[in-house]
Amino acid sequence: MKRALLAFAVLLAAPVPALAQDSFPPAPPIADPKPFTLPATETYTLPNGLQVTLIPYGIAPKTVVSLRVRAGAVNEGDAVWLSEVTGALMKEGAAGKTAADLAAAAAGMGGQLDVSAGMQTTGIGTNVLSEYAPAAIQLVSDVAIRPTLPASELARVKANLGRQLSVALSQPGTVADVALGRTVYGANHPYGRLIPGAGQLQGYTIAQVRAFHDGQFGAKRAHLYVAGRFDAVAVKAAIDKAFAGWAAGPAPVMLESPHKPGPQIVLIDRPGAPQTTLRLAFDASRAGTDADIPQRVTNALLGGAFSSRITVNIREDKGYTYSPYSDIDFSPEQALWGFQADVTTEHTGDSLKEVFKEIRRMQTEPVPAEEAKGIRTYLAGLFAISNSTSAAVTGTLATRDLLGLPADWTERYVPAVLAVTPEQMMASARAGYPIGKLILVVVGDLKTVVPQLKAQPELANVPMTTVTVP
Amino acid sequence: MRKWSLALALAAAAVPALAHAQPAAPAGALHVDTQYFTLPNGLRVVLTKDSIAPTVTVGVYYGIGFRVEPRDRTGFAHLFEHLMFQGSKHAPKGVFDTTITNSGGVNNGSTRFDFTNYYEILPSGALERMLWLEADRMANPVIDDVVLKNQQGVVGNEIKVNVLNQPYSTWPWIDLPMLANTNWYNSHNFYGDLKEVEAATVPDAQSFSKQFYRPNNAVLVIAGDLDYAATRAMVEKYFGPIPAAAPVAQPDISEPRQTEEKFRSRVDALAPKPGYAAGYHVPARGTPEWYAMGLIDQILVQGDDSRLFRKLVTDTGIAGEIDGGINGDLGNMFNYRGPMLWSFSFTHDPTHSTAQITQAVDEVIEELRSKPVSAAELERARTKMRSALYGTIDGGGRVGLVDLLAVYALFDNDPAAVNRIEAGFAQVTPALIQKTAQEYLRKTNRSVYVIAPGAQAKGGK
Repeated sequence: MKRALLAFAVLLAAPVPALAQDSFPPAPPIADPKPFTLPATETYTLPNGLQVTLIPYGIAPKTVVSLRVRAGAVNEGDAVWLSEVTGALMKEGAAGKTAADLAAAAAGMGGQLDVSAGMQTTGIGTNVLSEYAPAAIQLVSDVAIRPTLPASELARVKANLGRQLSVALSQPGTVADVALGRTVYGANHPYGRLIPGAGQLQGYTIAQVRAFHDGQFGAKRAHLYVAGRFDAVAVKAAIDKAFAGWAAGPAPVMLESPHKPGPQIVLIDRPGAPQTTLRLAFDASRAGTDADIPQRVTNALLGGAFSSRITVNIREDKGYTYSPYSDIDFSPEQALWGFQADVTTEHTGDSLKEVFKEIRRMQTEPVPAEEAKGIRTYLAGLFAISNSTSAAVTGTLATRDLLGLPADWTERYVPAVLAVTPEQMMASARAGYPIGKLILVVVGDLKTVVPQLKAQPELANVPMTTVTVP
Repeated sequence: MRKWSLALALAAAAVPALAHAQPAAPAGALHVDTQYFTLPNGLRVVLTKDSIAPTVTVGVYYGIGFRVEPRDRTGFAHLFEHLMFQGSKHAPKGVFDTTITNSGGVNNGSTRFDFTNYYEILPSGALERMLWLEADRMANPVIDDVVLKNQQGVVGNEIKVNVLNQPYSTWPWIDLPMLANTNWYNSHNFYGDLKEVEAATVPDAQSFSKQFYRPNNAVLVIAGDLDYAATRAMVEKYFGPIPAAAPVAQPDISEPRQTEEKFRSRVDALAPKPGYAAGYHVPARGTPEWYAMGLIDQILVQGDDSRLFRKLVTDTGIAGEIDGGINGDLGNMFNYRGPMLWSFSFTHDPTHSTAQITQAVDEVIEELRSKPVSAAELERARTKMRSALYGTIDGGGRVGLVDLLAVYALFDNDPAAVNRIEAGFAQVTPALIQKTAQEYLRKTNRSVYVIAPGAQAKGGK
C-alpha cells in the first residue's frame, strides 16, 4: 500500500530528479533594507499640563487609548505596593459607575479596561473598535480622575494581590529579581523594594489608598496617547471634554538611584532544583547618553539576540540552557545591564565560565566587520518589526517620553545604531562589563552549586552572602 | 454591510499629514485579499500583500502536531521542531538563525496540537534568501548525533524551566487534556517525559522527517511588502523541485462523547495556593455550534464583563483573575483540528473549598443552559469577538494574520475562509447559544482538575 502511494506521489512531483548533489540553486542575494520611519504624530499640551500625542497608525479599525500617569512604586515611600492596591481599586468603579458598568462599557466598545501600576507610572487604557474612540477616552478619564475607590472592595483586592505575590514568590525568577534589586539598590530604595513586607499589604487602609490617588495623580504627571485608526477631530474634542477639568497636581518626582558597588554574590537556596536561576548585573549608561547606542549594539551581540554569542555558546553549542538573555533596564535616572538564564544545575559553573569567556572576547578582540554589520542591521530591522502595531508604537513613544529622550530620538535611533563601529563596541564592552565588579544572584541547589562557583577564578574571592526571599 | 479592505485602509494609512488623516473606516466585514495556489508537489501557498512596513512575514506550517507522535517518544514532535533549526545541507548549523538576525529579522517556531510552525519576520529585501533557507531545510535537513544531543539538552532545559522548576508545572495546560481525553493521542504528556526525550535517536528523527515534513503536508504563507508575481516565481523556483511523499495518514484522534464528570487532584510541591481548572469538550470546528461556543466563551470567560468573572471575581472574591478559552492555553479557537476543550482556570485561597467553587461555577453555567441570553449581551459578545479578530489580523509582525491564513489553508484548504469568520458568528442566535450550552456545558461533559498546594505560601498574610 505504502509503495503504491509512493509511486503515485512521484508522478505528481515536479519533473526534477530528486535533489541531486548540485540541483539546489545557489543562495540568492539579500537586498539592503528599505528605510522605515514611525508614523507622523501630533503632540500638544492642555492648559492643565496634560500632554497628548496622537498617532495615526495601522490597518484595522481599532484605537488604542493609553494614559500614562507618573504615579507608581517610586511615589509610595515605605508603603510598598500601595500603588498596586490603588490601581486595582481604580477598576472597581468610577464617576458613578460600578465595576460591572465599567467592564460592560469597555466590552461594548470591543475593549477591556486595563489599569496597571508599575515602577514609574500607572497606565490606564483600552484598545477599542475605532468608532468608540471618543467614548473610550471618556471612560479612561473617568477611571483616572474620578475613581470611586470603594472601601467595600478593598479586602478582596488586597487578597487577590496577596495571592499573586505568593504565586510569584514560588517562581525562582521572581526570587532572583527581588534579591538582585536589594543587592544593587538597597532594601530602602523603591527599586530594591519590589515586594511588601509580611503583613504590610493587608494593612493598607482605604484612607491610604485615597490619599495616594489624591496626592499622586494629576494632569501635570500625565501623558495621553491615542494610536490607531481614528477620527482626529472627534478624538481631540473628546480629549478636551474629558480632561480639561483635571487638576494639575504635582510634577513628576526624580529619584536618586546610586548602585551599590560590586563584586558581590548573593545565594538563595532552592534545594533539589533541577536548574540554577542566574542574574548577572553591571552598571549601564543612561538612555540618551553618548555611550547608550554603542552599549545597545554591544549587548545585542553579547546576549541580547537569538544569534548572540552567549546564546550560541551555552545553548546552541553546549545545551546548558533554553533561555539565556541579556538586556538593559532603563529608568529616567539610571540603567542596569542584566544577563539571565536558567541553567542545568550540574552546569552552573560551566555556564558562567562561558559567559565570562564571551565577555572577555568582546573586550579584547575587535568584532569582525561582518558580524558587527550583522548586529547593527538586526537592531535596525528590529525597530521596524517591534513597532508594527499601534500598541507597540505607543509603548515606544511612552518609553521615549518617560526617559526624557528628545522627540526626534525615534528618528535618530536607526542611523545611530548603523554608525556604531567595532572599536566602539570593544570600548563599550570594556566599560560596561567589568567582571571584577560583578553582581551575581544565584537561586539553586546550593550544596551542588556553590562548589562550582568557587571553582571559577572570577568568583573564588568574591564575597558570597546567602539570603532568603521574601 | 460595508466591506473595508486592507488596500482601502492602507490608502488612508499612507497619508502622512495628520491634517489629512482619514476617519476610521466604518465597521463592517473584514476582508483580507489573498492569492492561493498549490504546487504540483502538494505545497499550498498563500500570499497576501500590504504596505504596513517594508517587511515580510513568512510562515511554514507542517501538518503535524504534538498529538501525533510515536507512543514511546512523548515530546518528540517538539524535539523535532528544535532539530529543524540545526542546519540543512546548504546552510550548516548556525547559518539559518544568523542569516535572519544579520538581515534585520527575527524568527521562531512552535509545536501545537495539530501543526508545527516556523515563522520569520524580516526586511522584504531578504525574502528570497529566506525562501531558499526554508526550502533547503524542508528538502535537506541535517540531523546527526551532535545536533540531536545538543537539542536534547536544550529541550530538557526547556522542560525544566517551564515545568520541573515551576509551581503548577503542567497545570492546567497538560493536565486537563490528559484528564478529559481518552484517546492516547489527545491524552498523553505532549511536552514529554524527560527520559523519552533523551531516548530519541537519529533514525527516529529521519523517519519522522520523511513521514511528516514534506511539501504535501505543509503550507507556506507570505505576507507583507511583496510583489505577487515575483514572489510566486521564487516559491516555484525553490520549493517546486522538492519531491512529494506519500499522503500523510492521520491516525484516528476522535474522542467519544463524554458521559461522566471527571475529577482529579494532585499536590504540587512548589505551588503555594490551590488551583481550580475545568474543561469541557467543544463542538466540531466550523459547525454552527462551534461558532456559538466561541460566543459562549466570550459571554462566560473573556473580559471583566463575563459572567464567570463577575461571579468568581467580583461577587464572591474566590479568584482574582480567570484564564481560559477554547484552546486557550496553547492557541485560539481557530488554530486546531480535532477534539478540543473549552476551559478556564484560576488560583484561589484555601478559604474556598472545591465544592464551594464548583457550586458557584454551576450557578453560572446552569443559568446559561436554562435561560436565553439577551440580545444585548449576545451583541456585546460579538463585538468583543470582532475586536479580538481585528487585533489578531492587525497584530505584531503579522504573525496572527499569517497564523489564521495558514491554519485555514492547512485544515480546510481554504484560506479565504478567514473572510467568512465574522459571518459565522453573525448567524448565532440566543436559541443556538442555549442549545449548545445544553449539550456541551453538561456536568457530564466536564473535567475538573484541582491543585493542592504543597508549598508554604510566602509574602505575608
